[in-house]
Amino acid sequence: MSNMTTNSQDGGMGGGGQRRSKFGRFGARRREVLPEEPLEYKNIAYLSKFVSANGRIQSRKRTGFSGQNQRKLSEAIKYARLICLMPFVGRM
Amino acid sequence: MTLQRTRTYECMCLLDNREVRKGWQPLKDVVAGIFTKHGAKILSSRRWDERRLAYTVKGQHRGTYLLVYFACDTQAVAAIRRDLQFNEAVMRNLLVDCAEVPQGAYEPEAAFDINAIPADDAPPAPVAAASAEAEPVAETPTEA
Repeated sequence: MSNMTTNSQDGGMGGGGQRRSKFGRFGARRREVLPEEPLEYKNIAYLSKFVSANGRIQSRKRTGFSGQNQRKLSEAIKYARLICLMPFVGRM
Repeated sequence: MTLQRTRTYECMCLLDNREVRKGWQPLKDVVAGIFTKHGAKILSSRRWDERRLAYTVKGQHRGTYLLVYFACDTQAVAAIRRDLQFNEAVMRNLLVDCAEVPQGAYEPEAAFDINAIPADDAPPAPVAAASAEAEPVAETPTEA
């Protein structure tokens, strides 16, 4: 009975041979992306690439950065917003 | 017992262009005085840029950025930050820790003409509309 429940949670993969990963099949292929330029609040042109049209910071899934670089990115964007270099909402 | 420790900091100040037009060097001295007043040693102070702001501050659409590197006691940072906020010429400030001063910061500041600063293109203050007089509202007849 418990096996039947597990199979149904796997998304109907069928006879129980393969189990889908919790994080999806794209997780295994993720490669860490390194920033091409320094992630500083003064580097507006580069930071703007990681901001959506509404002014939101892109997620790690989109940027491909490591946790450390993603924190640097979000911190730099927030600093830039504070001193009027980048808008809080929208794009320049 | 307070722990005395000196660190290097980087401060980006957004200056009001109306104050910059009155004179660049006097304004720089005023801002530098805020740091030195609290025992900081200024390592570099130079104009970073003059640009259009991402959003309006104090009715201004443009501003001049001053980038200052200084070394001071960690206990003095809060007082410096507070004084920067009190200064009228400094519209925004960002004071962050800096591991080392970049080499470009020691180069002499490029001369610039304060008269060449473009005029602020902020829209004029909204004029009180004379036509905004409230029209008398017709009273609805009350039905008996």
